[in-house]
Amino acid sequence: MLRAVWLTTQNEARLLVKDPIVLFMLLFAPVVIITVAGYSLGSLYGGSANSFRLPLVDLDHSELSAEIVNALRRESSVKVELVGDAAQARRMVSHRDRTPIAIVIPAGTGRDLEQGQAPRLVLFADPVRRVEVNALELRVAELCRKVTESARRRAQDQLEREVASIKESVRRISQQVEQTHKRAQSQWERDRKEVEASIRDQTNAAIRQAGAESREALQERQKQLWEAMQKQLSERQSALSDLQNYLAQLQSAERAFDEWLAALKEAAGTHARDIPPPPALPSPPSAAKLLLLATPITLPSLDPNPLVLKLPHAISVKAPPVPAFTLGDLAEELSRLESLSIGTLPGGLSFAEHAALEHEPVVVNAFDQYVPGFGVTFLLIGMMLGIALTLFDERDWGTLKRLEVSGAPLTGLLLGKLFARFIVGIAQMVLLFAVGWALFGMSLGRNPLALIIPTVGISFAAAALALVVASIATAHDSVMSLGVTISMAMAAIGGCWWPLDFEPGWMRELARWLPTTWTMQAFNDLMIRNQPPSTALLPLAATIGIGAIFIVTGLLRFLSLDD
Amino acid sequence: MSPAKAPLLEAVGISKSYGARLALDNVSLAVRPGEIIALLGPNGAGKTTTLSILATLLKPDSGHVLISGKPRKSDPTGLGRMLGLVPQSLALYPTLSAAQNVWHFARMQGLARDDAKECCRRALEEVGLGDRASDPTYAFSGGMKRLLNLACGIVHRPSVLLLDEPTVGADLQSREQLLALIRHYADVGAGVIYSTHYMEEAERICDRVLLIDRGKLIAEGDLEKMISLGGSRPRIELTYRGQLPDGRFGSLAGVREIGTTTSEGKAILEMNSFAQVEEVLHGLRTLGVNVVDFNLHSPNLADAFIALTGHALRDQVL
Repeated sequence: MLRAVWLTTQNEARLLVKDPIVLFMLLFAPVVIITVAGYSLGSLYGGSANSFRLPLVDLDHSELSAEIVNALRRESSVKVELVGDAAQARRMVSHRDRTPIAIVIPAGTGRDLEQGQAPRLVLFADPVRRVEVNALELRVAELCRKVTESARRRAQDQLEREVASIKESVRRISQQVEQTHKRAQSQWERDRKEVEASIRDQTNAAIRQAGAESREALQERQKQLWEAMQKQLSERQSALSDLQNYLAQLQSAERAFDEWLAALKEAAGTHARDIPPPPALPSPPSAAKLLLLATPITLPSLDPNPLVLKLPHAISVKAPPVPAFTLGDLAEELSRLESLSIGTLPGGLSFAEHAALEHEPVVVNAFDQYVPGFGVTFLLIGMMLGIALTLFDERDWGTLKRLEVSGAPLTGLLLGKLFARFIVGIAQMVLLFAVGWALFGMSLGRNPLALIIPTVGISFAAAALALVVASIATAHDSVMSLGVTISMAMAAIGGCWWPLDFEPGWMRELARWLPTTWTMQAFNDLMIRNQPPSTALLPLAATIGIGAIFIVTGLLRFLSLDD
Repeated sequence: MSPAKAPLLEAVGISKSYGARLALDNVSLAVRPGEIIALLGPNGAGKTTTLSILATLLKPDSGHVLISGKPRKSDPTGLGRMLGLVPQSLALYPTLSAAQNVWHFARMQGLARDDAKECCRRALEEVGLGDRASDPTYAFSGGMKRLLNLACGIVHRPSVLLLDEPTVGADLQSREQLLALIRHYADVGAGVIYSTHYMEEAERICDRVLLIDRGKLIAEGDLEKMISLGGSRPRIELTYRGQLPDGRFGSLAGVREIGTTTSEGKAILEMNSFAQVEEVLHGLRTLGVNVVDFNLHSPNLADAFIALTGHALRDQVL
């Protein structure tokens, strides 16, 4: 078996080498096609190949318009051609190839934008070239966004500079106010002390003068009072002596009455008890007291010295303290001004693409997308040419039968043919990737060797599929029609030509059962999303599994044909 | 040929049906060393089916095939290498050179590199393509391709050569070369089964003939025996213009009408001997038959076939 496989593989290699057309179809035609596709469609993805012409009319002649022109000139997908007026630009869009749109920058665009208005560029678009127009409009939209963003950022910067300047001024004013405040407070303190001293001196002088005058007045008044009091006291002393005499006489009369009454009672004999007692006389003040009344009033002798007022030696004048001078609201205002923040101008809402996965680039080379897809397509077609067609031919020619007679197992012969083409398929993909990388800067992912994983899978599955086609085709012509139809359908549904998401649900479900789908998933993961090689293992398993089903089906079918 | 020699290849009671159609019905045959057996029959008679079964490419519904007295499955590779198949189609790789074609089949037949090299050189020399060994096959003439086709079948020196109409499309020179080579190959000890519908080829090189029609072996024997089955009287084949008279050729004495195709203006008449030719032609003129061409031929396998089946082989006119 192994000998048959090996010899068949060798023979297939000889057949390939001897057939330059097939070799070209397998190896170089895909390169040509991806080159053409990459250059043709690359500009839609921002590539520089075969860039579009872009007539541009600058009616504004402002810094902004110059910025737009320069930005467009930096766009690799367009070649800017400045034209004089809008009519000429419209004519160019209508009548020239690769000129899907023209742009007019109206006068005042820069001024309006600076003034916060929303100026608009004018785009003349060719509706026939809608796809190209859409692609370029996306570029222009992105450009407008960037220009607006730039203007907004400049305005923001200007505002921030002005606010910074204001803050500096406020800071200086605050410092000056503070210094003035301190000087004023100091001055005020000094003034207060001077006022206090002055008031104190003046008060003391006034007090001293008032004390002297008051003393003189008091002394005069004291003298007058003394003299008046001496006079009144003398008069009262005389009256009191009279009263004292009267009382002494009254006391003698009382004693005489008592003696009379005792004599009366004695005289009344038995009737004495019938005599009512006489009314009691009030007890006269004691003799000592009465004596005291008679004692002459002695006025304290007045201090012959002039009255001395006890005046404070110094009046302590305490002026109210200088109220703590604060800047109050002004300080707050200044403080607020110092921390003034102008906020930010409202920005334009836009988006920034970020890779969904780590290491995944946002911008993709068109060849990153086309090479695997077209490569897989050509691989499938190549397998149809290399396996299905030649197997059918060999059945037709009788070479297979001749070989079978030799004792070589048919399975070995088929596997040998498949193995040879499997190797060719890998070489085909490797060549495509090498060309894509060397000539067009295609990404090979973080580990280029990992690309061999899906390549092996799809080569195996495609070879096995070709065996199935060879086994079910009933005529030479039907091999290619059937094979190409199946290959194209698998490539299309499997996402080789467009993203799977474009397809309806039932088709995506169907795609899960195709090796092309898994292979493209692996290529995209490795090349574009820069994922590690391990991500390609599941797709490899799926592809190999599907390929195994193909190969078993093909072998069984082929063996049954042989019977 | 020696009857004492054991058969190299033997089919015993083989039958094969494709669906409801019986392609082969209880056919038995055997080929011995040095023997060439002609498998003769019209298209669809079952020749290719028989060869396929003999080559063990096709399993019979019943019966069996023995190679050197053993079933193939007892030693698939060893016994398989005793067989050499030269299919009717050109089983060649057009883009490879003659040497590469022969080399591939030699290697697939199990020859080691050195042996394969020598066998290739010898096979190409034998078929007369030694000086064209490096030329691509597509550049060969039809006859050269036939020779190369044979070379690929004999490169490993098989004991039994199975030839399926090997001269179809070959020019006269290549055909002669092929026939000579096949005869030579048998003479050195190989057994050959030669499927053809060319009677003259079978008559020239074959030792025995198997007539097969509609899947049945209708006659088998050596050449003389088979020819005699068709009778021994010579025939004249006429091409005429105009209408045949009423009663056709009945008025010609000693002449028997074998077959007539009026639409093509052809007729085959059997005579007693070639001496009667002038008389017959004169009689035809008398009958008003405008003969524009005629051929004479001796009794052969075609006659035998017609006699046995009532119809002709391909390209034979009735």
